[in-house]
Formats: sequence, C-alpha cells, structure tokens
Amino acid sequence: YVLLSHLHFSVRLSPGLLGLLSQARLHSIAAEKKNYLQEEPTSSHRRNASQFDWALMRLDNSVRRTGRIPKTLLQKVFDNTCHSGSPGGNQALLLLRSCGSLLPELKLSERTEFAHKIWDELQKLGTVYDVSHYNALLKVYLQNDHKFSPTDFLARMEKGNIQPNRVTYQRLIAAYCNMGDIEGASTILGFMKTKDLPVTEAVFSALVTGHARSGDMENAENILTVMKEAGIEPGPDTYLALLNAYAEKGDIDHVKQTLEKVEKSDLYLMDRDLLQIILSFSKAGYPQYVPEILEKITYERRYIPDTMNLILLLVTEKLEDTALQILLACPISRESSQNDFGSFFLRHCVTMNTPAEKLKDYCKKLKEAQLHTSPLQFTLQCALVAQKLDLAKVLMKALKEEGFPIRTHYFWPLLVGHQKEKNVQGIVEVLKGMHEIGVTPDQETYVNYVFPCFDSIKSVRAVLQENGCPHDDNVFSQAELRSKAVNGNLDYILSFLVDLAGVNFYCVCSNLLLLLQCTHFLSYQITELLYKDGRYCQEPPGPTEAVGYFLYNLIDSMSDSEVQAKEERLRQYFHQLKEMNVKIPENIYRGIRNLLDSYHVPELIKDVNILVEREKTDSRKPSSSDLESKLEKLKAENQPIGDILKQLIVMLCSEENMQKALELKAKYESDMVVGGYAALINLCCRHDNAEDALNLKREFDRLDSSAVLDTGKYVRLVKVLGKHGKLQDAINILKEMKEKDVPVKDATVLSFFHILNGAALRGETETVKQLHEAIVTLGLAKPSTALSSPLVTLYLEKDDLPAALESTIDCYEKYKILPRIHDVLCKLIEKGETELIQKAMDFVSQEQGEMTMLYDLFFAFLQTGNYKEAKKIIETPGIRARPTRLQWFCDRCIANNQVETLEKLVELTQKLFECDRDQLYYSLLKLYKVNDDWQKADAVWNKMQEENIIPREKTLRLLAEILRNNNQEVPFDVPELWYEEEKDCPTSLPSPVEVNLQQGLLNACHRRRNKGKHAFNIFLTAKKQNIVFDNETYARLINLLLMKDNSTQAMQVKDFAETHIKGFTLNDAANSLLIITQVRRDYLKDALTTLKTALDLDQIPSRLAVTRLIQACALKGDTESIHDIQKLVNGLEDSIGLSRMVFINNIALAQIKNNNIDVAIESIENMLTSENQTVDPQYFGLAYLFRKVIEGQLEPALKKISIMAERLANQFAVYKPVTDLFLQLVDSGKVNDARALLQRCGAIAEQMPILLVFCIRNCQRPGKAPVMKSLLELIPELIDKEEAYTCLMKSYVFDNDVTSAKALYESLTAKNVKLNDLFLKRYAVLLKNAGESVPFTEPPESFEFYAKQLKESKETHL
Amino acid sequence: MAASAARVAVALRTNIGRPVAFVRKIPWTAASSELREHFAQFGHVRKCTVPFTGFHKGMGWIHFSSEEELHNALQQENHIIDGVKLHVQPQKPKALQGDQTSDEEKDF
Repeated sequence: YVLLSHLHFSVRLSPGLLGLLSQARLHSIAAEKKNYLQEEPTSSHRRNASQFDWALMRLDNSVRRTGRIPKTLLQKVFDNTCHSGSPGGNQALLLLRSCGSLLPELKLSERTEFAHKIWDELQKLGTVYDVSHYNALLKVYLQNDHKFSPTDFLARMEKGNIQPNRVTYQRLIAAYCNMGDIEGASTILGFMKTKDLPVTEAVFSALVTGHARSGDMENAENILTVMKEAGIEPGPDTYLALLNAYAEKGDIDHVKQTLEKVEKSDLYLMDRDLLQIILSFSKAGYPQYVPEILEKITYERRYIPDTMNLILLLVTEKLEDTALQILLACPISRESSQNDFGSFFLRHCVTMNTPAEKLKDYCKKLKEAQLHTSPLQFTLQCALVAQKLDLAKVLMKALKEEGFPIRTHYFWPLLVGHQKEKNVQGIVEVLKGMHEIGVTPDQETYVNYVFPCFDSIKSVRAVLQENGCPHDDNVFSQAELRSKAVNGNLDYILSFLVDLAGVNFYCVCSNLLLLLQCTHFLSYQITELLYKDGRYCQEPPGPTEAVGYFLYNLIDSMSDSEVQAKEERLRQYFHQLKEMNVKIPENIYRGIRNLLDSYHVPELIKDVNILVEREKTDSRKPSSSDLESKLEKLKAENQPIGDILKQLIVMLCSEENMQKALELKAKYESDMVVGGYAALINLCCRHDNAEDALNLKREFDRLDSSAVLDTGKYVRLVKVLGKHGKLQDAINILKEMKEKDVPVKDATVLSFFHILNGAALRGETETVKQLHEAIVTLGLAKPSTALSSPLVTLYLEKDDLPAALESTIDCYEKYKILPRIHDVLCKLIEKGETELIQKAMDFVSQEQGEMTMLYDLFFAFLQTGNYKEAKKIIETPGIRARPTRLQWFCDRCIANNQVETLEKLVELTQKLFECDRDQLYYSLLKLYKVNDDWQKADAVWNKMQEENIIPREKTLRLLAEILRNNNQEVPFDVPELWYEEEKDCPTSLPSPVEVNLQQGLLNACHRRRNKGKHAFNIFLTAKKQNIVFDNETYARLINLLLMKDNSTQAMQVKDFAETHIKGFTLNDAANSLLIITQVRRDYLKDALTTLKTALDLDQIPSRLAVTRLIQACALKGDTESIHDIQKLVNGLEDSIGLSRMVFINNIALAQIKNNNIDVAIESIENMLTSENQTVDPQYFGLAYLFRKVIEGQLEPALKKISIMAERLANQFAVYKPVTDLFLQLVDSGKVNDARALLQRCGAIAEQMPILLVFCIRNCQRPGKAPVMKSLLELIPELIDKEEAYTCLMKSYVFDNDVTSAKALYESLTAKNVKLNDLFLKRYAVLLKNAGESVPFTEPPESFEFYAKQLKESKETHL
Repeated sequence: MAASAARVAVALRTNIGRPVAFVRKIPWTAASSELREHFAQFGHVRKCTVPFTGFHKGMGWIHFSSEEELHNALQQENHIIDGVKLHVQPQKPKALQGDQTSDEEKDF
C-alpha cells in the first residue's frame, strides 16, 4: 500500500515540481544577488577554528566568492603553515590542491612550480605524504597541462612506499591521454584490470580526449559506444570531453550538434562546462566562436565565480580581448551604484602589463556597460599599488581630462615604495611626475615620504634643485620644522620655545603636543618650562591652569592603547610633576579623569589626583546603628514587626516548611509585608498548591496593588494555575505581568514553552490555545517556532494530521512561522496523504519560497526512506547548500542514530552547490563512531579522495580514532602520533662548541642576572654559528626572559626554536608566563592566541595567567573574548582552579564597561534566582566586580548594582551580594555609603561567615587597619567573635596602630573575654616595640608555638 | 528611526567630552582635506585625521568642537564623497595609530 501510494504520489507531483523547479531557480538567483557583496559571516567561525580550519576557510571563501585563490593569499597560508612548525597532512593537501586551476592569475608553469615548492618545503618540515597527496599532485599536473612521465611518477610513489589506488590510476590515464598517448594509457588500464579495479566514466572521458589529441576523432567518438557496451552510460563529463575535442579543432558544427544532442537527452551541462568549451576555442585560436557558446550560457548566479576565473585565466594567457567579451556578457545587476564588478578584470590587466591605451579603452567600455562606476580611478589605484608610474601618469591625465581633480596623496603610494628602499632616483622620478601632472608636493609629502630618504634636509634641497624639481620654499621650510618635531629633536624644540616665548602659548603647545605624540617622549623639562617660566603664562589663570590644560591635551592626544602601554611612564611622569610641586585645578583633573576612564586606565586616576590643588575634605559623621529585636519581643512592646516577620517567613520558605509558614502568616496577617507574601506564593507554587497560591496572590494585591513579583514567581503561578484548570486566573496573571511590565527574559520564554508543551502532551487543547493566545497577544513573548510548536504537538499526539497541518498553517498566517512542519510532513508522507502534502507544499513554496519548500520536502523524503524522491528534489537546478539546515538534519540523524538516512543525505548532496562536504562526512563519521563501524569509516576516507575533498584535522582525528579503537592501521599521518615517535629518535651527538655554549647558556639562565641579557647574548652567538641547542635549553631561556619581562626576546628565541626543532613547543609554565607578559603589555589578542595554543597542546595554563587575561579583557569591555576563553577552558576549570565566578564577575564588568549595565545586572540576577543555579548563592562572590565598579567610579552602575543587591536580599533572601557590596564599600573608604546600605538592609550584620572571611583575608595585608576599624564601628557585634578580634589585632599590629590596639584590648577585657595566648603575644610585642609597658605577663613562647597550639585546640573542638 | 536616535544618544553619552566622528569606507581618492570640507557643513571641525601609509586604510576621525555638531553630522543619513557613501558613527574609544597626518589646527 505504501509503495503504491508513493508511485501515485510521484506521478502526481512531477508536473507541479517542474514548474516549481524553474521558479526555485529564479528565486535563488534573486536571493544570491542580494547577498553577493555582503561579507561572509565568518568571525565567530574563525575564532573557534584551528589553524587549519582558518586556512581552509580563507581559501574556501576566496574560491566561493571569486572562483579563485589570489597568489598572495596562498603564499600567506603557506607561510603560516610552515611557520606553525608542524604542517599536518591535511594542510599539505589543502595547499597542493590550491595550485591548479584555482590560480588563474598565474601562468601554468608558475602554478606547478608553486606546487613543487610546497611539496618540497613541507616534506623538509616533516610532513608525511600518503596516497591522497600524490593524487592531489596528479590533479594539479592535469589542471596545469604539466608534462611529466607517469612511469617516473609511479616509481617515485613506489620509492616512497606508497600504494597507488584507483584514483591514482585514473589520473595517470588522463595524463597520458592529455599528451595523446593512447599506448601509455592502455598500459595503465592494464594495471587496473590486473588489480581488478573498476573502470569508471572518468577513464572513458580521458580516452575520448586521448584519441582526439592523437588525431583520431573517429575513435574518440567511438568511445561512447564502447562505454555503453560496457554498461556505463556516457554522462556530462564524457560529452564535455568530446565537446572540448571538437573545440580544439575549431569544429563549431560538431560542437553545436553535440550540444543539441545533450540538450535533448536528460543530461544537463552546467555553465562551468560551457566555459570550458569557450576556453578550448580561445586557446586553440578560434575566438570567433566564443559568442555562439556565450549565448548558451544561462549565467546562473553560482557560476559567476567560474566565469571570473576564466576571465582571469584568459588575461593571464594574453587573450584579454576575449576576456573582456565574456565580462561584458555577464548579467550583473547594473543598477546598484556600489557594484563595481569589473574591478577584478582591471586589476589583473594592470598586473599582466596590458598596454595603457588598451586599458583606457577597457575602462571606457566598462563604464558604458555600467560594470564599473569609476573604472579609471580604480585602475589608477591598481597602478599605484603595483608601483607603475608610467601607467599611473597616463591614467591621471585621462582622469584630469574628465575633470576629476588629481590630489597630492595619489603620489604617496608611489613614494612610499621608493622610501622603503631609500631610492632617491625613484623619489625624484615621482616628484618630476607630480610636476608633469601639475601637482605641488605639500608638507606631508616632504615630511613623510621625501625627507626619510635623505640624510639631511639640506641634501634634499640640493638634489631637488639638481634634478630640476621645483618646490615651494614656504611649504618646504614648514615641512622642515615639522620634521624636526616629528624626529623628537628636543633641543631644537626647546630653543624654538625660548625664541618664541610670549608669542603664542597655544601655538607652541600644539607643536609640543606633536612632539610628544610622535616621540612618546614625556619630558618633564617641557612641562617645567611651561610651569616655571613666567613668559608662557602671563594671563590671569596662571601656571596651574596652563599646565593642567597642557596635561589634558597631552592625554587627549594619545590613543587609549598608547595610554595603556605607557601607563607606567605616565605614572612616573605625574609623580615627577608632583615632586616639582606642579599643581592642576580640580575641574581639569575631572576632565583628565574622564579621559582616563574612557581609555580604561582608571588605575592612573589616583596618580593624577595627587596633583590636584584643593583642601582635603573628608566628612565622617559618627552615627550609631540600631539592632533589631526579636519578633515576640517587638510584638510584646507593640512595636512594628513587619521586617522581622518577613525574615522569618523567608527562612521558613527556604526550609520548605509550607505548613508553618502559612500558619505564621495566618497568625500575624496584619503585619504581613509584600516580601513575605512573595516568598509564600513561591513556596505554594513549588508545592503545587494552586488554591493557596491564588489566595495569597489576592491578599498580596489587596496589601499593595502596585507591588510587583519577580518574573519567576509569576511564571510559576501561571504554570500551577494552568495545570489546575484555573485558566482565567492564569490569564489574569499574564495580563498583570504585561500591565506591571515584568521583565521577560529568554528563560521566561522557555518556561512558557514548557508550560504549553506540558499541557499539549496532556492533551489539554483549551489550556494550550488560550495561554498561547494570551502570551502572544499580550506581547509577553514573540510567537516563535518553539513557543508555538505545542499548538501542533496537540494534534500530532492525537494523530489528527489534517488538524495538525491546519494548525501549522494557521500559525503561519498569524505569526509567519511553521512549527513542526518537518514532523507534519513526515507523518503525511508515511500515511500517503498526497492531497495534504500538495497543500502543505503549495503553501510553503508560496509563503517561504521554493528553496525552503524543497529542503522541507527533501528532509521529509529522506526521513521516511523515499530516497528516489529525495534525489529528484536535491538535483533541482539552482538549489544550493544551506549549511544550517543540512547540519540540523545531520544532528537529528546522529541523535536518533539513523545511519542509512545520513548516508543517503551525504550521497545525494555530492553535487550540491557550495556544499561543505567535509562537514557532512564528519557528521557521518561521528555516527559511525557511535556505532563503532570502522569498515564504513574506512570507506569514507576513500570516497573523500575521489571527491577531491580536503578533510579537516578534526575529521582525520575522528577517523583515526575509529580505526585505532578497532585495532586498524591508520593509512594517513596523524600529527600527534608523529611527535611522540619523534621524541624517541636519537639525535646526532653535539659538537664540543655546542656543548660549551649550551652549558654557558644554562648557567647564565641559572644566575638570572642582567635581565637575562647574558643568556640571550649566548643564544645570539650560537644562532650566528647555526648551532641548535636542545629543547630544554630554549625552554629555560624563554622562561627566564619572560620572567624578566623581555617578551620580545623571548618570542625571538621561541621563533628560532620552533623553526629549528621539530615540534618545539613552550611548556605549561612558559605559556602561562607568556600570557601574563602579553597581558601586561596589552597584547590581548596575542595572549588569547597563546592560551589557545597551550590548550591545543593539552596544557593546563596557570590560574593567574587565565585570570589576568580575563580581567584585562573585562577592563577593555571585551565580552566576546571572555566568552571565547570560557569556551576554551570549558571542562578544565577545576584543573586550572578557575572559579565560575571569575567569568561571571568579568563578563558583568565588561558589559558594564560597554554601558550594558542592565544586561549585566539582569544576567547576574537571573543566575541567582533561577531554579537550576550553577553556583551556590553562598559562594556567589561578586566582590571583584563591586571593587572594580567602585574603583572605576562607575556611579550609574554602582547605583544599579546596589539596587540589585538589595533586591536579592529583600525578595530572595540572598544576602551574599549585598554583604560583599557592603564590605567593598568599607574597603574603599566609602563608610557613609556602607552605613546607609546597612541601615537599609540590616541582615548584612548577620552574615557572620562572610564578614569573618573578609576579616581574615584583610588582616594578612598591611595597611588595612583603618578598614578593619571602620568595619568594627559599623558592626560592633563583630567584636564578640574570636576570629574577628584576632584579625583586628593582627591588622593593628601590622600597621603599628597602638591606639586602636589598646582600645580593642580594653573593650575586650571590659567584656571579660578570655583572650588566647596568640592574641596576647601579638599585643605584647606591639606594645614593647612602641616602648610601652605590657599590662600582663607576656606569653613566653614563640608566635609559632601559640599559633600551633591554637590550631590544635580548634581541631580537637571539632 | 527612534531606535537609531536612541543608539546615537547612548553612544554620545559614553563619549562625553569627545565629540568625535569615526568615519569608515572613505574612498582612496579622498584625504583629510576632502573630509574636512564635507564635514564643515555640520560645524567647526577641530581636527581631522586620516592615517596614511602610502594609501590610507579608509578610516578617519573628525573632531568637532561640540556634541551638537557631532549630533548634526550623525543625523545626516548619507555622507557621500567622490560618489562613495561613507560610514559615519560616533567614535568608540579606539586607537589612532601609525604614521598619520592630521591637519590639526595650530590655534586650538
């Protein structure tokens, strides 16, 4: 029955499909046009990808966008690969594959040369080649028409102990055939037959070419018959071979006939194939037939890159007129002014030295054809980049004729090239050219590009005169002055200052700023001169104003990274100014403070602060804080008990004691406050007690109708009420959420989904519908696919397919989404509901486009095992890969272990345009791994070669893992293995010189003197003599240099070691040190890379290094990097010793720095109030965040954080944040703010464990006595705790604060506290040192003794 | 429209005291004098910087003398020089590095 219905189905759908297919094509072309010039969304990819993924992506993107790889890009990737020191097999494969037709800008011979260079270089670096590499090299030879001896090639493989496979033989046959050597091809064919390898279409296509090139067209044509007899239908590849053969002979008639024949068959020649025919015609000298083939090209959007590739190739082959012909035929959108499609052509013409007059003509034609808005300007730019002065001059003259101004800076690119080489003659030529065009050099031209080439400015004048380059004397002198300033000629400027004094202060100042800016030279001499020399500041404001203004402008003129880099020098500078008694006014100080803040260097503020001219104001009002009494006591005294009642209820709630809490509420109903109700409501919801929850909510509203619960509580209410059939009440809660503007977060929406889905699974139609309706119409959540899927689930669960489809369509009509369409489709196909399928498909294609419809249908057919139908769908012309949809389906298959389905998906998408084959094979391997199926995994490796796919490292690793797990040999090189083997290889014995130098270096490292200078010098000596030390020695040297903060030299050593010792890597400690150094120097990107490298090596970086990096990112507001780090160290947190709080604190700080205060607060609050907390609120320490916010004087943030902390305390009984905030306020001397906070939130005083930890930590550092004193004043109860008073004493002793120590001792003895010996010993020593008498017998033993005693006594207590 | 205005307002708040426009996608044919000329219509251009090393990198900074002037410039939808549309946004604190030429005024 099922089969029959399929047959019926495919017949019914086919005519419709045909129409859809052609529409789909149009649709996708339109979509592509829109996206063409937009950049690829690659950033997030790039960061997570390994070196190889990065390279692959760069090359791949280039190919996809432009049909080619620029030589510079390939060179760059190659250099990077070599530099990484350990090029893997797949990297080699990637590079080799790129050396063929993907390099149309290079001559064929140069391409092959490049491939050989890569081959040899990588081999030297230790890359191990396998059969896939030889096959890739063969492909390159074929693409580059490289003449070589196939037998030699086979011999080479044999020597390398590599077994050729089917792909190798196929390509060797093609090589013989390209040379017209049928005999050679037959020999290889013989090999294949003896090895029982199948003869594929590829072999027959090659034979067509072979016969044709040997001059035997008849036999070439006959191959097709032979094929058919052998049971292989000639496909597009065979016909293309035949077409090319005709084209090479200039036989347009046969080409046309054959094309017609193909058109009539059900075969389909792609544009790419037609372009091949054009190339064959052009190269064979028959450009006259090109237009006839161009007519047949459909110009499908996806073939534009191929067309570009061909155009470039033709230019390279000096067939640029044909190239232009093809370019002009390209149907590129001509309306958009941004579209300068012809650029690639013009640029390449410039590179290939197309004659200037021809180029001018091309520019004109491109402009007329609207293929370029400003072709002359663009070509000029190319000429300038390529340093082609003569061409540039012709183009500038042409531009001038068109009335376009020729500006001075057009000549700078030409000058800069000569300047780098100090080529005086070149410079003179350009200056002459400027004169010729009628452009006068300006100051910048002289200062930046001309002067640097000469020894002195005098000689410039002379040379210019000699060569007859006229110059404006005025401009020239100004340039000279400026040049002096730029070069930091302090003496010159100082004399200049003295001479000009009193003329115009600000004018002088501007020059000074220039000087400082250019040289980064912070000269207090200059500042002093300004401050002390009355001549500069005769005006009323006086020197204070002038210097302040100067400093402000100095900092203003520096960039943030400059200020960050020069932090220490600026600090010294400010202190120098302080010593010179220089003062600045407070208002200017505030300006500087804001600047420093915006530069993220708040650390410097305090250093500027010391310069401020003002009296110290410190208003400390002593006030007493009250203690709360216990509930009954208050009640008895007829006092208000609201607060304490609330606290009690909150506590009961946290103990889940609903009974008692409700009783208490009933008893003291009149004293209930909002907070108590909130906690109770939540408790009842948790206990699924809808009745009481609803009643409490009503009482809550009566108490204060404006009071707002937090989001979580509302959601829980909705859930409980909905579940218990109180639908209207639930909706009322939703309405209230809207009215009171309760914040709805992602988590809230997820909760809504779960509420709805639960109801759907229980089959509660009304509940689902009404709640969904309310949520959406109230605007609490967007009607997303996920949120709306329960509407469909309802019917799918009941197997009511028409209603399910109806519901999905209904969702689309209302909300433009199609929830669960895949599941609906699958069920429809399973049940053979053809009419409903037709309906669904019509609807989808009409509403969401054919492409979406095709994918929906494709997946549904795959899922239900209708592979034939699936194949038809995915072969639709114009369809292209949609990576996210494909990945979605792969993941689904893996999750459900659907091996066959996934295999079919991979098979059917082989020719899908822009399909990431490796990614699909990777998914397939993942599934094979789950099933431990090594045979199938091994087959994947062969298939990938045949498809010419470069596996990513992760794919290879996965494949190797599967094979190894099954005790199979791995037929390729896996990098990690190779290095382990390498270690065991004995190296040749070092010479005595080497040993001596190495020993010397190690000794120098050991002594650690001179910042490692000595050791580094030995390294340099050895380097000169080409002596290479062992791993260990370099590692030691690098560590030393890093410790001495010589990161530049350290990197130098590292680079040398990496290039000379295979597999040299820094160890854990060195990488950690490197990260710390990089962070200190503000090279955060590099630090991040180092971290990645370390983690890739399975190292565990130090906690300090990771923390420093995270903190530095946070101070920069770089949330993204912190998230990246979090992902990188995911799973290693415990080994590193990294608390989740580090991330939480720093992400929040970064968000605050970005002015996203609300986001930061919301996410913290969310973490603390959500049901599945990842960090126990007790350990949710935000002290770091608070400290940074306070230090940074980020007032708005501080205010909001404070509100958050109080809310958490009052509504959720989470007291840790508010206590931390309080302590940080105390710690930073904001005692008044701390006091106010304490008054608002008395519970802080009860957080003894937190307070005590603070005491214990603080008393270990000097200078904390005032903080401890303030804390004791604010919370006098602290003194009752032994830990606290011990810490206090310790702190006072640390800071030699005898007075406070005495007061402490006296208050304790007044309370009759029994003091321990350690405490007394400390106090006694303090008194003795201060020359005072000790009022008790000093404990006789040592500190250690009493410390140990105290510790032991505590342990026995436990 | 309202949203973009709000974004501008937020950005302005973070840059108090530094009314600087950050300009991207400057065509290679234009340099600081062309920029200065264009932006003069919105107010007094205190400083205009376009870093050069042979070519510039398409980026520049316009220092206005007041927030209002910066705001005027940001309000304008299209900024076109030599037929190319510039991208203008308030400056986030960011580095000004490299060999740069600026026509900073001598009498600030």
